[in-house]
Order: sequence, then C-alpha cells, then structure tokens
Amino acid sequence: MKLVRVIDTTRCMGCRSCVAACAVENHFTPGAPWNVMIESEGGAYPNVHRTFVTMNCMHCENPACKVACDKAGFKAITKNELGVVLVDYDKCTGCGYCAAVCPYGVPQINEKLAPLYPGQAPSPMEAIAPEDRHWTHRKKARTAEKCTFCWHKLEKAVQDGKTDRIGKDPQYTPACDLVCPVDARAFGDLDDPTSTVAKAVGAKKAAQLKREYGTKPQVYYVLEGGEV
Amino acid sequence: MLTTRRNFLQGISSLAALAATSGALPAFANVALTPGARKLAEEVVKSTCVHCVNFCGIEVQKVGGVIRSIQPDRARRDVYNHGICPKGVAGGFTAYNPYRVKVPMKRTNPLKGVDQDPGWVEITWEEAFQTISDKLAKIRKEKPAKLIWQHGHGKYLIGDSFPKAFAKAFGTPNVIHRTTTCESARHVADDITWGYHGYLPDIEHCDLFVVFGANYFEAEQYARWLDHAVTDAKERGMKVVVIEPRLSHVGAKADQWIPVRPGKDIVLVMAITRLLIESGHVDAPFLTTYTNAPQLVGADGKVLRDGEQPLVWDTVSNSAKPLAEGVVPALRGSYTVDSKPVRTAFDVYADSLKDMTPEAAAEIADVPADTIRALAAQIGRAARIGTTTKVGDYSHRYRPVAIHTWRGMTAKEFGVQTWRSALMLQMMLGIPDAVGGIKLSAAYRNPDYMGPSKCEYPPKRVDLAKSVYFPNGHHDVCQQVALTVLDPKAYGLQYEPEMQIFYATNRPVSTSDTATQFRSMEKTFNVTIEVHMSETAWMSDIVLPDLSYLESWHYAPTRSNPHAKNTAIRRPVVNAYNLQHDGFTILWELAKRLGMLDAYVDAINDAWKLKEHKFEKGRDYTARESVEVLWANATKGKPFDIALKEGFVATKLAPVDVYGKGVEEKFRGPGKPKMQFYADSMVHTLEKVKKTVEKEGIKNIDVAQYKIAYSPIPLKEHAFPTPHREAADLPFYLITFKRMYRNQSACSNTNPILNFAIGKDTNENHVLINATTGAKLGLKDQDLVVIETRIGKVSGKCKLTEGIRPDTVGVSYHYGHSIAGWPEYARKGIDVNRVIELHPDRVSGMNSYNDTKCKIYKAQA
Repeated sequence: MKLVRVIDTTRCMGCRSCVAACAVENHFTPGAPWNVMIESEGGAYPNVHRTFVTMNCMHCENPACKVACDKAGFKAITKNELGVVLVDYDKCTGCGYCAAVCPYGVPQINEKLAPLYPGQAPSPMEAIAPEDRHWTHRKKARTAEKCTFCWHKLEKAVQDGKTDRIGKDPQYTPACDLVCPVDARAFGDLDDPTSTVAKAVGAKKAAQLKREYGTKPQVYYVLEGGEV
Repeated sequence: MLTTRRNFLQGISSLAALAATSGALPAFANVALTPGARKLAEEVVKSTCVHCVNFCGIEVQKVGGVIRSIQPDRARRDVYNHGICPKGVAGGFTAYNPYRVKVPMKRTNPLKGVDQDPGWVEITWEEAFQTISDKLAKIRKEKPAKLIWQHGHGKYLIGDSFPKAFAKAFGTPNVIHRTTTCESARHVADDITWGYHGYLPDIEHCDLFVVFGANYFEAEQYARWLDHAVTDAKERGMKVVVIEPRLSHVGAKADQWIPVRPGKDIVLVMAITRLLIESGHVDAPFLTTYTNAPQLVGADGKVLRDGEQPLVWDTVSNSAKPLAEGVVPALRGSYTVDSKPVRTAFDVYADSLKDMTPEAAAEIADVPADTIRALAAQIGRAARIGTTTKVGDYSHRYRPVAIHTWRGMTAKEFGVQTWRSALMLQMMLGIPDAVGGIKLSAAYRNPDYMGPSKCEYPPKRVDLAKSVYFPNGHHDVCQQVALTVLDPKAYGLQYEPEMQIFYATNRPVSTSDTATQFRSMEKTFNVTIEVHMSETAWMSDIVLPDLSYLESWHYAPTRSNPHAKNTAIRRPVVNAYNLQHDGFTILWELAKRLGMLDAYVDAINDAWKLKEHKFEKGRDYTARESVEVLWANATKGKPFDIALKEGFVATKLAPVDVYGKGVEEKFRGPGKPKMQFYADSMVHTLEKVKKTVEKEGIKNIDVAQYKIAYSPIPLKEHAFPTPHREAADLPFYLITFKRMYRNQSACSNTNPILNFAIGKDTNENHVLINATTGAKLGLKDQDLVVIETRIGKVSGKCKLTEGIRPDTVGVSYHYGHSIAGWPEYARKGIDVNRVIELHPDRVSGMNSYNDTKCKIYKAQA
C-alpha cells in the first residue's frame, strides 16, 4: 500500500475549504498552518490567468526534513510504514533545519501556541484536555509542525483493521480530502489500480512537484499551469 | 507522556502483528501505532448548514460533547452538495464564538449611533418580553402597521412563514425581507416574463454556459451544486464564457473571460441578439407557440386585443386573430388593422436593434466588436435550433446553451431590463425548459406577476413595495424602509412607523448609502434578535440572543439540482451558551403575551398551507414539535425518525417532470397564456403610474425615468444608470462583490478559522485596481487609497492586479465593520457600502450596487 494524495488544480477553484478543514481537525493555532492555498496570477490584462494550488506536507519517500533532523541528532522526524512523515514534539527542539531544507516550505515552527480568540477564554475546541487529544494534536511552542496526513485517522484504520477503507470512509480519510466542493482532492492507495488516486495519476497525468530534488513526494498534482 | 505512549505503542504493535497473522493487516505489522486520545463519546448528527443560502447537507461530528468537525453529508451528493465551503467547515466557531449575544440586553444611552456606547445592561427574559410586548400591545391598539419586522437570514433560520403569520395576526403589512440586496431584479424580470421566478441551468446537458457576473465558486444561491456540476461539465467539454469587469474565481476557471465595462452588459446582449437575428438563429416555432412575440403591437406600444384576447397576424386568413387552432401566426411583419399600422412584438424589438451593431455595443461596453461577433456565433451554433434529443425515453427540444447571472446583471438601476434582455435572447433561441438550457421554477405560478401592477397609492407598506413607487416590487424593497421611516409623508404613508424588529439581519450595513440607513434607526424603538452582536443590534433598544443554526430546530429550506427534490430538517447539536430561545419561541411567547395565539396559529397554518398535519390551538409547541408538524406535512406523514437519522428525504425527478411540466403545460399553443417576450404589462403599468402621479400630485416620481424603466423592450438607455449620466467627471466605475470567507455579520468576521487559518488575505479586503492604472496613479500594492464618490469617501489598502478592467475599481463588501466591542481584526478593511449611491431599480426596487462612479487617489500620510 502506498498512500498518496492527488490534488487536481484544473478542478480546484480556490475556496480553501480544505485549508479550513485541516485547521479545525488538527487544532490550528495562529501562525502555524498545516495546509495553505497559493493563488497566483499571470499574464497581462485582459489575457490573465489565475491558479489555485493547495500545499501541505508531501510525505516524501525521501524526506529532506528527516535527513536534516537525523543529521542534527534530534531524530524527531519519522516516516512510518504507511508512508506518513511525523514530527515528535517531545524530541523537536525547534531548530528549524527541517523547515530550511524542505523544498516545499512545509514545516512550520510554531513560536507560541496563540489562542484563537485573543483575550477571551479558550473555546471548547481549544479547551479539550491534552489527554483527550491525539498526540499529534498535543502541540508545543517552539517546535516544528506540519500536516500528518491526519495520522490519527489513518491510525484508527489500522487499529480497526480497515485500511482498505482509507480514502473511502470519512473516519479513515484525511479531513481536507472530505470537504472539497468540486472533488478536486482524492486520497488513497496508489498500489490499488482501481483507486481514484491511481486512475488520476494515469489518466490525468498527476505528477509530483520538484522531482529534481529526488524527494519522491506522496502528493501528486494535476497541474493547470502557472506558478507552483 | 512520551514514555507512556511508546509503551502503549508496543502493545498496539503487538495487536497489529496479531491482526497481521489473521490476514487483516499484512502490510502494517510494524506500523508504530499510538494510543491516540482517551475514548470519549462520539456522535455524528446529520443536519443542514444555514451559514448561507445554500443549505448544504452536513454531518456534524461531536466528541465528548464538543463539535469537532463539520463535513458534507455524502448522502446529499446526488441531490445537491458534494462539499461544503470554509464557512460551513468552520461553523463550530459560530456556536462557540465568545462575541455572541448571550443574554437579553437593554440600552441605557438614549443617543443612538454606531459611534455611541449603548450602555448595555443585562436584563431577564421576563423583563425583555414584558417590555417588548407592552410596546407591541400599544402599537397594535393604535395602528398595527407601525410595527416593522425585518429579516434577512432570519428567513432561513425559522422560515419566513412564521414572521408572516405573526404579522398577519398582529395586523401589520410590514414584513420585509432582504431580496433587493441580492437579486430581486432577476426575480422580477422572471415574474414579468413567465409568471414566477427562479431557474436553474441544465448543466448536465449544457454545452455552452455564458455567465454574466455570477460567482458560483464563491457564494450565492445554488453555488454548492453549480460548483461541481460546472466542473464536471467542463471536463466533459462544456465551454464556459464569463463576462464580468473583474476576474472572479468563476472567471479564472472559465474558457474565456470577457471584461465588460460595468453596467453595459445589456448592450452586449442586444448586439448579440441582433447578430443572431441577422444570421437566422431564431427559433420561430418556439416564439410563436410559447411566447407573445407574434402578438401585434400598436403605435401606442400596447398589444392589440379583441376583448381580453391578444391578436396575432394569421398567415392563413391574412387577418388579425386571437391565437386558436388553425391560426398560423406570423412572427415578423408590419400590417394594418382597422386602418392602423401594427407590427409583431418580435419586430418591435428586432427593429429597435437596428442601431445596436457590434461596433456600437463595443463603443459602450468596451468589448471588441469581433469578440461580440464570435460570441454570438458561438451561441448560435451551440443552440442547435430545430433539434431534439432524448433524456431517458423522453424526447424533447434540445438547446444546450444557458445564460446565467445573479447580482452581476441585476444589482443595478436597470437590473430588470438587463436580465430581461437575456431572457428574451434565450426565448429567441428556444432555451427555456429545453434540454441543456434553463429550467424554469414553477412557471406561471403567479399569473398576477404578468399583469399590470396595482400601483397602489397611498402605499400600505413602509417599503413601498407594489406601490406606485416600486410597482413590481414583488420581493420587498428592504433599503427603502429607512428612507420612508425618515420621511413617511414624502411617500404618502399614512402612519409614522414606531417600532422595528430585526431578526438575523444586519440591514443598514448590507445596503448602500449606509449613513441614511443608520439615521433611520434613531427614529424608532428597535429590537434585534441575533446570534452575534452587529451594527443593527448596536443601534437597538433591546437585543435578544438567538440560538445558532447548530443549536436549533428547523424544518430547513433546501436546494437541489434540477433533477431532484428534497425535504430536510436542521437540528441542534450543542447549546454552547445554554440559551433559552430562538426566533420561533420568541415569536410564540410574544403572541401569547399579546393574547393573539389562536390567530397566530391560524395564520401559521395558512402560511405553511397546512391541512392534515397542522398546528392545533390551545397548546404550546416547542421548536422541535413545530418541525415535526412541518415534516409530517411536507413528507405526507413520513416518520420523524427518518429526519433524525438521515436529515432529509429526496426524490429524483423523471425527465418529463423536469422538462415537461413548466412552459410545456403552461404556455404551449392556443388557449394558453404566453410568456412575455414583449412586456406588454409594463406598458400598462407605466400608464397607471402616470395617471396616479397626475391624480395624486406626486412630486417625487420622475415619470420620464419611469418611462425608461418600464419600457416593454430593453433599450440602450438601460446601459446608462444615473451615476453614469451625471458623474461623467469621475473616471472610475465602482463595483462590489462577495468573497467566500465572509458574510455580513459577526459569525464570520470573528471566526478564527476564517480570519487566521485559511490565508493572510482573508480578514481584510482591498481596493482592487488594474496594475497599469495603479502605475499611472503612482500606486504600489498596499498603499492606502481613497475612494471618493458623490456621497462620501472611504479609504483602504489597494491591491494591484491584472484581473480587473483599467477603468474599474472593485471592493468586496462585508468588511470594515464598526462595532467598538469587536477585536481589531474583525473591523479591518473597507465598508464600501457607505459610498455606494442608491438609485434603486424603479421596477423591482433592487439596490444599485454596481452603478456608482468614483475617483481614487493616494491617501495623505
């Protein structure tokens, strides 16, 4: 099983629902988004184009962030057998090497765990106790954060013996891939020739970004053009 | 913690290994599983989002009693939405927002103004109800019409039938909805043309989708169906042409963007119509069978009649006759009837277009004549006039072209005429109710809409709807309320409004010339029922907290695609601040205290058209019980358990129901009314306006302008609204638009996900200026610029872009809020409505958001 995400920028219309879903699901704190929308404009009036590309962790097969972290001796970044690259907040020192080497600008050093409502009591979502959160949501100031492919959901699929339902059942599928109004995102097993992601890679020529770095991302893009 | 987690990991890994031996997880025997979180109670509630007017099906996931996520209900994919927007995703923060109104409050500072501290004092519900009902009782005794009920989104929180029933029982005609801030001109053009309003493009079968300033990728009605339907259709090969001054997200995803000069789209449509007539792209059988295009028009502009029967020129007998079996009407031609010259209605329009060449339209609209020619040819080819196709076993007229708009064509002084020009073009091609065309909603449901207006005077309603001022204001005229309140005698109103109740609306901020709107609220006793503090609440005497859409019951309004219908409910998931009341229970309590509960119940049953399942007198209803009654009525008695479990029930429509029940049943052939290709009713309405003005000595109606507004056919003059004529010295056209991330009240401007999480550009709007124009003015990105119109100035940061016309300035609305109690981020940006001139469409009352002209310059440091 090779879990990948396919983002079809020919369909994406820039609504940012996927960005919002990531934030809600993963206990966003201001300043450290795990999923971002890049809007680009090109050409000159009246021959103008605008593109919408969402960027999250590529969960590279050869993750530069992990190499840097390992070399630095912290070993805070792991890549598990489902291909998910994770940061261990307890080991992370916030050195920023991972952010510096990532070709995709993914890791965010969360300088402080800022409240969602400054000056107000924490909202019930923020007030969820650490012991009631998945460990990937027990965030710490001055550590690196990034998209986990919603590891808490994939892990649940493993625990439930339902890995075949990843990308199909909402409870086993990353939050960002569930809300898209135009079906521009898909998540699933690239090794399954019947999967939506496998078909998209074939029929729509979905490709990895910045392949020259040799990182082998597990996020594929159907590209419409413009800057990425 | 970590140690514990790792220990647990080992345990879980063992479990995984065990599972692997059983064959369930062969690939993941060594995956490092973690303990996750403590197991808390989980629940998924199916409901309906009411953040905007799309009413998407949602699943709300609650863990440990807290909303953790909101996702689209996948079961609704075949009916309406595939996904949900970021506002819907972030809806939990609407409920958990600390800036909500949490208790009833009364104002202690008698001075009203958005710059005044109201001196709020918390009061009990008892005091609130008593104060309000005492005031209402006095008004009801004296003159019930002095009460004005205004709602915006409140209509969708509990359904406008409840407020309408309350008003009926109370005795006031003044229930005012917000449609003139949205698209009422489109609705009224529909009403006049085919007897009701609303249509959906048949995207599934459409080959060419021509969009005039609609924004279905961001936020408007039916956006959450059109977004995926259009995207799918594009992949299948449908072409999308978007005509708008600013490159919206819809324009960005289109095959072609045509940047038309603001307000001039009508001449583009007229020129295209002319070209298509020239090239013979006219569906004559459709026009003669379903529309009044062959009817004969005299020199006075009226359709000739024999008694009540309109006359056509019968090519069999060569005489004027009512359309009947055996009569073959001429679509074109000039004839003589009773020694008087007449022309067919079609020729009246066709002849009027003789000067509307592509070059003439190009001069006005600043779209190259060749582009106009190419688009006309593209439309003509795609229309496939004369063809039929099969949908299932149903064979039907095939015209796979649709023209679409909302505010783009209609939020202007001549909005009705502009959309009528597009309706006429589509009738000419046979598009209404054709496969691949536009599916009309409930054709001819209200025949009165197609007749002359009553032109009532003196007006009964404070918004002057359907009076001589706005004769076809079928959908209320919300912004007019303020003007009438300020000077009722000027409009002949025979009472002084005393009290306004605002239910989930931020009306003054939502309309143009906002200073006037705020001033009117200083004159009346105001009650606001709201989820969050708003400028309207700030100007009120009493503010009542409302339950949010995630906390309350409602028999929900729904949307569906053209091939389905559905019935849905909304149900509470949490009650974040333990509030007691919502709009439904507040009205019920007030009706009780006013001693009019029985009358209210009767009015509710009338308003909802309840018969078998209805509200009974002599008992109270909780909000849930009210939804149970309405569900039973709508579903013909289906168990409420279905609503609780599934959230909705849906029906897929057969092709004959989609295409064969509208114009086919109502307008086809002899003995049936005809769609008004030529708006004969407007000629008669204008005559009544003239007579009423003369008889009553009305000074503030300019009949010459009504003559232009009430033309039976579109005119070049409709491309020149008041500011375009009078403010020629102001070089820029000012347009407004909606962004995905906001709506008019605090539910979005204090939502942290929408403001901090989804981009650095969402909690502030900008003045969009063409990059070349900006360079000429010496402007750089983020410079502070002033927009100056004839009624005021606002300033904000500019953003230079290639995606807007050089002569146009664009600003999104719903930013620049002014409540002092809100955090700084929630007040950022520009409140552009302050400087938008108000020149409402005289036909519909539609607010003129896209007609203002302005100048811009760098603000002084």
